[in-house]
Amino acid sequence: MVTLGDYLFVSGLLFTLGFAGVLLRRNLIIIFMSLELMLNAANLSLVAFSRFRTNSLGQPNYDGQVFVFFIITVAAAEVAVGLAIIVALYRARRTTHVEDINSLKF
Amino acid sequence: MSYLELLRLAAPEAIVVLTAFVVLTIGLVTGRREAGDTPAATAGLGALVAALGLAIAAATIVRLPGHATLFHGMLVVSPLNSLFQVIVLVLAFFTVILARGERLLPNKGEYLAMILLATVGLMLLIGSEELLMIFIGLELTGLSLYVMTAFDKASQTSAEAGLKYFLFGSMASAFTLFGLSLIYGFTGTTSLAAIGPRLAEQALPPLLFVGIVMTLIGFLFKIAAAPFHLWAPDAYQGAPVSTAGFIASGSKVASFIVLGKILLIGFGPVSGSADWHGLIAGWTPILAVLSALSILIGNLVALVQKNVRRLLAYSAVAHGGYTLLGLIAGGRAGFSATLFYTTIYAVTLVGAFGVVGFVRRENGGDDLADFAGLRARSPLLAGCMAIFLLSLAGLPPLAGFFGKFYLFSTALRAGANHGLLWLVALALFGSLISLYYYLIVLKVIFLDENAQATPAVARYDFEMRADYLPKMTLLVLAGAVLLLGIIPGTLVARILASFG
Amino acid sequence: MSPFFFWTASALMLVFGAAVIINRNPVASALSLVVSFLGLAALFMSLDAFFLGIIQVLVYAGAVMVLFLFIIMLLDLRAEERRRINFVAFAGGAAVAVIFFGQLYLVIGHLHQAKLPFAPLAPMQVDDVHRIGLLLFGSYNLPFQIIGVLILVATIGVIVLSKRELH
Repeated sequence: MVTLGDYLFVSGLLFTLGFAGVLLRRNLIIIFMSLELMLNAANLSLVAFSRFRTNSLGQPNYDGQVFVFFIITVAAAEVAVGLAIIVALYRARRTTHVEDINSLKF
Repeated sequence: MSYLELLRLAAPEAIVVLTAFVVLTIGLVTGRREAGDTPAATAGLGALVAALGLAIAAATIVRLPGHATLFHGMLVVSPLNSLFQVIVLVLAFFTVILARGERLLPNKGEYLAMILLATVGLMLLIGSEELLMIFIGLELTGLSLYVMTAFDKASQTSAEAGLKYFLFGSMASAFTLFGLSLIYGFTGTTSLAAIGPRLAEQALPPLLFVGIVMTLIGFLFKIAAAPFHLWAPDAYQGAPVSTAGFIASGSKVASFIVLGKILLIGFGPVSGSADWHGLIAGWTPILAVLSALSILIGNLVALVQKNVRRLLAYSAVAHGGYTLLGLIAGGRAGFSATLFYTTIYAVTLVGAFGVVGFVRRENGGDDLADFAGLRARSPLLAGCMAIFLLSLAGLPPLAGFFGKFYLFSTALRAGANHGLLWLVALALFGSLISLYYYLIVLKVIFLDENAQATPAVARYDFEMRADYLPKMTLLVLAGAVLLLGIIPGTLVARILASFG
Repeated sequence: MSPFFFWTASALMLVFGAAVIINRNPVASALSLVVSFLGLAALFMSLDAFFLGIIQVLVYAGAVMVLFLFIIMLLDLRAEERRRINFVAFAGGAAVAVIFFGQLYLVIGHLHQAKLPFAPLAPMQVDDVHRIGLLLFGSYNLPFQIIGVLILVATIGVIVLSKRELH
């Protein structure tokens, strides 16, 4: 029997994978993909909770699903802006590597 | 709820969005004949329209009904929300005018539109008491500020600053989102007003506590509390000056009010206590630790800065730490102290960044050395900067003094037995350190000679005649800082009355 | 929802999710990302969220991955050459991630709701597209409009940032 705990476990694992990617990788494009993994882990737990909290009529709680709908939109917009910033940076510096981006420090 | 009602209550936001469209159109039809900078007339017209739109929106807010709630708190009209929406609009208004004095960016129309759309995000953050709407407001503000930070393509550092702001911001919002999903899961609702009672009625599962902490990360990032402050120095230094000013002022005010509402309305039942002798688990001890960390890191690192914008950034971290004191103290008194402090801080920083903008345009840089001998070159700017910095340091009779006094005394009275004394003592110690580095900046401005004597003719005309309007704005801001220090009661009374 | 289906989809999502962060070549990472999200979409469907499952595939396979690939091609990024890894930073990052997950795992284990099965759904009267649509134009109307503003911000921002200035 698959339980809510299983879904939360899988979602937590996905979030951690994304978090690890952001912390460990030095390539900006891959860091962005890891951010996507983190956002989608949140989506998974939202949908699981939405299914878990069925109302008395036996319908899932659609508020969670609408939330996910908005998150998918926001995430897509965020990716677009992030990649545009990378393009602007690449025009100025010719790199997408975090360690090369260090002109601002004290 | 009819759509007309929605339109009526969301009219201020709608007006600002429409203004952004008009500004975009102005930029589209009048600019771009020659390559490079936006024609001055276009920029002027755009700024005029933007300022006008913000003023109309503020007037509309005043005419809204006193209390109204739409869709379980997605849009809440209350005296408190209206007051702070007006404050944010005023801050955006000053930002638009001061952006006028900045070196002309290409695509000025788009830049002004971004300021306006970021303002819409801030207004929604303030005006909403529902988690989904707050998240969307957070993202709207965030995305427009990332773009504005990376806007200056002639600068080497702007894109880099934008990237760092974006990376930290997106990571923080991913954490917030995961936290929100857990809160939704356990309470079954996203409305702040409904979350509070549900948290009170059940024993708190540890996973929900994890959710609450993860949610807070996004807001702590916005207010640049340590250790989530790493983006702030780079963003403040690399962004266009007016953007940096707006991040430090408008974005911060909105974040504090929404943080306060989430903590006190939504998570009120699980606050805990940070008293020295009576520690109770909850969010208060966590905030207390972060506040202490921010005060220490911000003030100590600011001591060694050579760049004025970076110095202001680290001092912003420290001020974020002070401002959290009010939320830790809790209650109406604590919240109003936080709101008062963050408002005067925002006004001061808009002004300080305005001065930095002038110096940067004249000297091409904003290192400490570029401020040398500013007194001789422009007594007006030097005087304004002195007022802003001394207010930040908390010297009487300026607004910063009263703000700190109000904040610290509220925190002292809050806990039983002066339980927060340890934090207040730390904050006082931090203020003492900060006095030192603010005075160093003032020493450079007033006492140091300008090393490279500027040929007066070749430089941009630095006198009162040019840029009449931005300079008047700086004077108004300095006057406001002085006035709020002498008669702080008016604003405090307004904030307290708006709690209703 | 059969356990077999659940664990297959989860394994697909997690294995390819790990592939995203392990691959040296950004193109391979982008393709792994899509497979991972196909697994996620399958999980959505196992939770009876069919509409979201389809949206997930459309948006990520159709738009986001193409965007990633487009940028990778535009900037002509190759597989990154081996750099010396800063071991202290690497170990620190890995430790943070592991501790975070350990924490989460313990906390989920403590949860009594976590062991409850999902309640059965009533046979569906109308499809979930219909219900979500009603919500979007009803009580979620304001955020729906604001999302439009947010996309406008993204559009303007992307154009301004990525175009070349005529100097």
